[in-house]
Amino acid sequence: MRLLRRLAQWLRFRANSTDVEEELAFHRESIERDLITRGHTAAEARQAARRAMGNETLTREDARGVWLWPSLDALWQDARVTVRGLLRNPAFTTGVMLTFALGVGANAAMFSLIDRMMLRPPALMRDPARVHRVYMYRTSNGVESETGGQYARNADLARWTTNSFSAVAMHTTKQLAVGVGQDSREMRIGIVSASFFGFFDAPSAAGRYFGASEDAPPSGSPVAVLSYPAWQAQYGGRHDAIGSTVQIGAVVYTIIGVAAKDFVGLWPLRPPVAFIPMSTYAASVLGPKWQTTYSSSFGIGSIARRKPGVSVDAASADLSKALVQSYRAEGRSEDGLAALRPRSLAGSVLIERGPGRSDVARVAMWLGGVAIIVLLIACANVASLLLARALSKRRENAVRLALGVSRTRLLTQLLTESMVLAVAGGLVGMVVGTWMSAMLSAAFLPGIEPPSVTGDPRTLALVGIITLVAGAFTGVLPVLQARRLTITDDLKTGARAGTFRHSRARSALLVLQGALSLVLLVGAGLFVRSLRHVRDVRLGFDPDSVLVVELKWRDVQLDSAKTADLRLRLVGAATTVSGIEHASLQLAAPFGGMTDWPIAVAGIDSVRKFGRFEFNAVSPDYFATMGTRILRGRAFESSDLGGGRGVLVVSEAMGKVLWPGEDPLDKCVRIGIPPDTMPCRYVVGVAEDIHARGFGPQARNFYYYLPAAQWHQQDGGLFVRVAGDVRGAIEPLRRRLQQEMPGSSYVTVARLGELTEAESRSWVMGATVFTAFGALALILAAVGLYSVIAYNVAQRRQELAVRVALGAVTGDVLRLVLGEGLRFAAAGAAVGGAIALFAAPQIAPLLFNQSPRDPIVFGTVTSALLAVAVAASTIPAIRGARVDPNAALRAE
Amino acid sequence: MCRVGENVPITYRWEATAVKNPPDLLPGTLDLLVLRTLTRGPLHGYGIAQRVKEISGDVLQVGESSLYPALQRLLLDGYVKAEWGASENNRRARFYTLTAAGQKHLAAERKEFERMVGAIRLVLANA
Repeated sequence: MRLLRRLAQWLRFRANSTDVEEELAFHRESIERDLITRGHTAAEARQAARRAMGNETLTREDARGVWLWPSLDALWQDARVTVRGLLRNPAFTTGVMLTFALGVGANAAMFSLIDRMMLRPPALMRDPARVHRVYMYRTSNGVESETGGQYARNADLARWTTNSFSAVAMHTTKQLAVGVGQDSREMRIGIVSASFFGFFDAPSAAGRYFGASEDAPPSGSPVAVLSYPAWQAQYGGRHDAIGSTVQIGAVVYTIIGVAAKDFVGLWPLRPPVAFIPMSTYAASVLGPKWQTTYSSSFGIGSIARRKPGVSVDAASADLSKALVQSYRAEGRSEDGLAALRPRSLAGSVLIERGPGRSDVARVAMWLGGVAIIVLLIACANVASLLLARALSKRRENAVRLALGVSRTRLLTQLLTESMVLAVAGGLVGMVVGTWMSAMLSAAFLPGIEPPSVTGDPRTLALVGIITLVAGAFTGVLPVLQARRLTITDDLKTGARAGTFRHSRARSALLVLQGALSLVLLVGAGLFVRSLRHVRDVRLGFDPDSVLVVELKWRDVQLDSAKTADLRLRLVGAATTVSGIEHASLQLAAPFGGMTDWPIAVAGIDSVRKFGRFEFNAVSPDYFATMGTRILRGRAFESSDLGGGRGVLVVSEAMGKVLWPGEDPLDKCVRIGIPPDTMPCRYVVGVAEDIHARGFGPQARNFYYYLPAAQWHQQDGGLFVRVAGDVRGAIEPLRRRLQQEMPGSSYVTVARLGELTEAESRSWVMGATVFTAFGALALILAAVGLYSVIAYNVAQRRQELAVRVALGAVTGDVLRLVLGEGLRFAAAGAAVGGAIALFAAPQIAPLLFNQSPRDPIVFGTVTSALLAVAVAASTIPAIRGARVDPNAALRAE
Repeated sequence: MCRVGENVPITYRWEATAVKNPPDLLPGTLDLLVLRTLTRGPLHGYGIAQRVKEISGDVLQVGESSLYPALQRLLLDGYVKAEWGASENNRRARFYTLTAAGQKHLAAERKEFERMVGAIRLVLANA
């Protein structure tokens, strides 16, 4: 009740002030009137009344003060005093605010990214802690790899898990063409089971979601649910959108509903524009009997809701059991099963927290740590500056204490100062954070909306907490310093000469900053070198000059011969576009998933034991297009035709593993199912090895090439080599090729570099962010060192003057001051080096061909730190050396 | 009743002629006096001060600097209500009325006060 009345009073604060004022005026007039009735003159009465009333303002303030929280008013006053003081010293204030802002901004940006990727459960999901992604593994040739993705497999798991899950749903997303003709655009489509929507607390915004009967094999129903934003953008939120039709991929769907406003399924970063039934889509892209075929897949995953009381381990065991049963149903023998060792796992619903976590997510976690270090350095720097300020205000504070200001009040004021600075820094930090977040997203999560910093309550809460902690942390040191104030000493000597004292706290902060900067710079060095190693890897092709063309058929049905003709026409058309050097047919793109058929070679029982043999079916111009070198023999020629002698080109490593010590040329390789019954194809050339599955060593991956004319010439797309600007060539090429495409079929053109860049993104991210933050840290540390050394030199003026008077030369003074700076830096480097040596092996898995304790990196970084220390101490050192002993000593 | 932490200045202005050195009063007595004064009906601030002065035979004079903060405190506690009205000579004045909670509070405080005074008397008479 008291609180309510207090709040009510607060809301009408001004009214209350005038109430009291009027009351007091009435009181004064009443006294006056009484005096007049007792025979005093009006003037006398007025004066007497005023005397009787005493200090009316004080009374009013006291009366008003009743309603305030006791210390709030004092706090407000402190804040006002602080702000005024800070405005008087704009350089200091700006510096501290910016330092805070960078620290806060870096953390806000990293947090918003990490939060999206691995903390925040999917929007609207009911009880996400009990929802799991289903992971499946199998072992082949002694190597365990992830599997699944087939409809049949996922359906088996849903069918044969016993009692662990209350609901299971399949899901995937695809980029599919939406619309018809020139208006059609590729958009992300969610392909989900009917049960998928039940995982969410998301009543449809209009119409309805599809049900189980519309998602039933063999063909499902052509119905679609729009996302809310798509409904607004494409249909203006009109209700007649429901019932209208839209072509998605090859099928025309009827829109039956609009998903809830914030519904994004499992894909907050790339929300689908529409959701279609799994069965309908599967039936449109897979062959007949797709629902029981284990050989074709399009990357289907499952989510499952664990029943209460079932542990995650029990759920995983249940899934594994169902997976084994599924392999049995597929027809695997018990022996085969023993070697396959199928295993399944109920992982986090957040993909980046499960076993499928990407390197980008791992690096992002580290960078989150880096952001915290930047914040620590920023805080150390601010604390150091505030400490210097507090030291220089010793005399002022002593005077105030002597005048009776309570110590508590003094300390509160110091804390208030750091808090005001932190809050201001936090506000600027949100701007910095928004900007950094946009940059981070653009660089590492291309194609997504950058997560908002200012509009997101979780990020805002974090910024608030960081700000308060940083403010408190930086305020504590000056407060501790101020607590040691001894009035008499400080009044006597003040900040005057001869009383130079090293501040141990400032020295420690300086060493800390140096150490943390070194740690960050070591991280930067390791990632930069990793990235260079990645860039130095000879991939065996030039991803940066090649475009990938894919053919999208939709409703057009061409027979094989016509399709093969069309592809050849496209190759011809591509080379007529200016800037295009070469064009070739292709079946698969490196880093995009290659093709793998059984092969047989005379004299070898099982070629598979060596690893995976993948191939591409290409035109004669392929090697010129890709920049892959032919080491021996020849590339394909236009005479390598369908009816002629079967030929192939093998990679160097494949030749070595299949025919060790022999010349692979003219050897026979049989390809097909079963391979040993197939006709011989003869090796005509040896090409350099390529990396088609990552940058690392490809010990068990071998590649070979067939002429497209000798292998299903209707399948696949094109590679096109561009001389000059690759990005600029995309649109002219697409337009030219589109002219050749029949009906509503179309082509997509993308850079091959996109595929390789996606693979190297984690190193790029590590290198750029570590370097940026490391540089930031170094600058902050340099500024910190400079300010401390400059301050110390100023404090030591008299001492230096005495030294100069006694015969010290410039070099002596320089050495003295520089030595001090270097000692700080060396101590920082030693501490930081120790931390880095200890911590670096932790990031080893994220590096590439790079020892985490690389002496070159450690050496370079340490010398950089020392060089910066010398640079930062030089100016104060020169100033110290120029002290005029006469003037300095006389000033005493 | 006695709120130590709030550092409320409760001062009494004593007629210089009546008492040379004002003794310390029991804390909170002012609230008691104000509430008691209001039992006879609504009064404005000046009226309360006058009433206390008259009834105490000019011994107790309530200063404005303590009266108005005290009234605000009683408002905050809900022991009195304030309303603007017309004074006896038709000026706008703020009238304070005792609430039910105020009456209860007065009774409790009064009992407590009697107990204290009784105790002090006992000590003075018998020690």
